[in-house]
Amino acid sequence: VSGDRKPASGLERCLATTLQLGTWVGSCTIAVGWVLSATGGSPSLSTASVAIVRAGIAVFILLPALRVLLMAVVFVCEHDYRFAAIAALVLAVIVVAAALGVRMAGVVPG
Amino acid sequence: MHAEPTVYLFVVSIGASAFGGALGMAGGIFIVPFLTLFEGVSLQSAVACSIVSVIACSCASAASFLRGGLTNIRVAIVLETATTLGALTGVLLAGVLSMPFLRVLFAAILLVSAWQMTQRRRPAPVKAPAPAKPTEFRGRDWATMLRLHATYPDHALGRDVYYHVRRLPLGMLLMYGAGLISALLGIGSGVLKIPAFDTALCLPIKVSAATSNFMIGVTAAASGVAYFARGDIDPAIAGPVALGSVIGSVLGARFLMAVSGDRLRLLFVIVMAGLAAQMLQAAFQGHPTLQVT
Repeated sequence: VSGDRKPASGLERCLATTLQLGTWVGSCTIAVGWVLSATGGSPSLSTASVAIVRAGIAVFILLPALRVLLMAVVFVCEHDYRFAAIAALVLAVIVVAAALGVRMAGVVPG
Repeated sequence: MHAEPTVYLFVVSIGASAFGGALGMAGGIFIVPFLTLFEGVSLQSAVACSIVSVIACSCASAASFLRGGLTNIRVAIVLETATTLGALTGVLLAGVLSMPFLRVLFAAILLVSAWQMTQRRRPAPVKAPAPAKPTEFRGRDWATMLRLHATYPDHALGRDVYYHVRRLPLGMLLMYGAGLISALLGIGSGVLKIPAFDTALCLPIKVSAATSNFMIGVTAAASGVAYFARGDIDPAIAGPVALGSVIGSVLGARFLMAVSGDRLRLLFVIVMAGLAAQMLQAAFQGHPTLQVT
């Protein structure tokens, strides 16, 4: 078993498709929210449009985490447990960061 | 949310990401100074919005690199353990460090990036040439044990080129620093990644550009989730900036093929030096826009 890989293996194509699709979903969500906010309208509509933009931003932030999860799953399927563990570690750091952000949310910056 | 200033943010983000992308960097290094110096956004909020832009740039341009077989995803995931831990440290430090210090740090990063841009980039010369076939190498170093060595398709040569990954621990250390700087300042941290890829790991430039672009999304996501959960990300700013960054990075990828880099490079050295000077001024005198709120 050698370390070299064929250009654009199955995993690479899968990751490319995921990131491309996610970019479209995130961009379109933000665009829809933005257009809604620009049309003005009632306060409830404006609240909804901000929520839609925020959801689009969340898609972008979660997209890289999703691709790490995808890599972890594929590594497990390939019985490459060492790399599955490495991917799991990266995911764990992201989860810790999210928990840290939630904890910091109550603290007003000095 | 008013439409007019957000359209302005959108257009500026397209420009920052397109030109940044053409020079092989994320637009964050231009977006943060723009938001803080000209729009009166607080540094904390600007960094959080810029992080979203960095993620958007990475996601939008990763697919073509991956399909081209240039991204080394094994190297990427190993180095991401270091960059995400660095980002986590950065999130913790961001609350502790003072605003003037962060502004001075940003100015320093701008200046070093500008200097780096004037240097012709080349990987460190390799003392022992890599064997022609990966199976011929029987080393006991980290990179070999993790099977990181790989090949990439070189279109100029018309064949696959085998390359060797070197000095992984040094590369990891630099990447930890890159993650930290990225989370603190909302940028892609090319400043530390270029020496990590070229001098420590000795990757071919095309591979390092693709792998760096792939990695920065996860690195920025680690600090991005924290800033999002903390409520630092203002959708009215981050939305248009993210959308502009996606469009800009797609345009930048085209630019990279079409424009000869030298004049663009010189222009950006001047722009970055100017932004650094303004950041320093803001750090030492306090910026007038900050007193309004």
